[in-house]
Amino acid sequence: MSNLTRWGLKKSPWAFHLNTGSCNNCDIEILDALTPKYDVERFGITLIGSPRHADVLLVTGVVTLQTLPRVLRVYEQVAKPCLVVAIGACACSCGIFDGSYHVVGPLDKIIPVDVYVPGCPPKPEGIIDGVVKGLAKL
Amino acid sequence: MNNVDPVKTLQAKFPDALRAVDEKSASRVYVSIDPAKVTDVARFLFEDLGARFIISTCVETRAGMEILHHFSFDSMGVIISLRAVVPMPEPRIDSIAPIIDGAEYIEREIMDLFGVEFVGHPNPVRFLLADDWPEGVYPYRKEYEDKYPYRTEEELEEVRDKVRKRGTK
Repeated sequence: MSNLTRWGLKKSPWAFHLNTGSCNNCDIEILDALTPKYDVERFGITLIGSPRHADVLLVTGVVTLQTLPRVLRVYEQVAKPCLVVAIGACACSCGIFDGSYHVVGPLDKIIPVDVYVPGCPPKPEGIIDGVVKGLAKL
Repeated sequence: MNNVDPVKTLQAKFPDALRAVDEKSASRVYVSIDPAKVTDVARFLFEDLGARFIISTCVETRAGMEILHHFSFDSMGVIISLRAVVPMPEPRIDSIAPIIDGAEYIEREIMDLFGVEFVGHPNPVRFLLADDWPEGVYPYRKEYEDKYPYRTEEELEEVRDKVRKRGTK
């Protein structure tokens, strides 16, 4: 990765929030992390509406039969290199839904994952820590 | 409709449709009914007695598929569950969604997961399962785990590979 790319990725990482069949608990924690109380904009992190503009992919939930093609499609659209963060027990390991009839996850069997944030749900501090650690790894 | 005992009213109104009344407690009553009369009883509870429709549930028992419609009398704190048992393997019952709009989604969900046919449902299309889920496979039935055991890691990889090869267009 060239220095310019690395600088561009770390300077102001834009995050896209992708729910692949989560119970909404992790999604709420992500939204909490974006509130002024935690203020992730101090790292330049902001939520955007299109994966084509994203540097960071925040993925919650097990991957289901229905969302599997959609996950691949979103991942194809994200500009590479990008940081993929698996948020919550489900995205990391399928959690309690492992072996269920609709589950084809976990996420790292579908797309390459850079950071795992375990927890059910993880705290907003944990999510921010995960993203920052992932960016530091680059 | 205060000061009216809903169970006694039901017994007086539908002497033929009611098969058994099971009072778990003063506030929790299960009323077994003739499945053919479910719309009549539900309409009477909902429209005439003003009960609130909570939810429907379904469970597979040895006697057949058991469909329960739960109604609440909030001012009295009484919950009445209409219990209708329909025979397997093709459970079929009249839909209460034409009477109670709130029952539409839960009946579609039961249709997906248990394979119960709700006759007269206004919109009987797939609700929760994936678009390419096979027809006639109902994951919440007892037979499901025998017919389709937990997928091994290799089988899961096969499913993923199929989607990868198909592409995402």
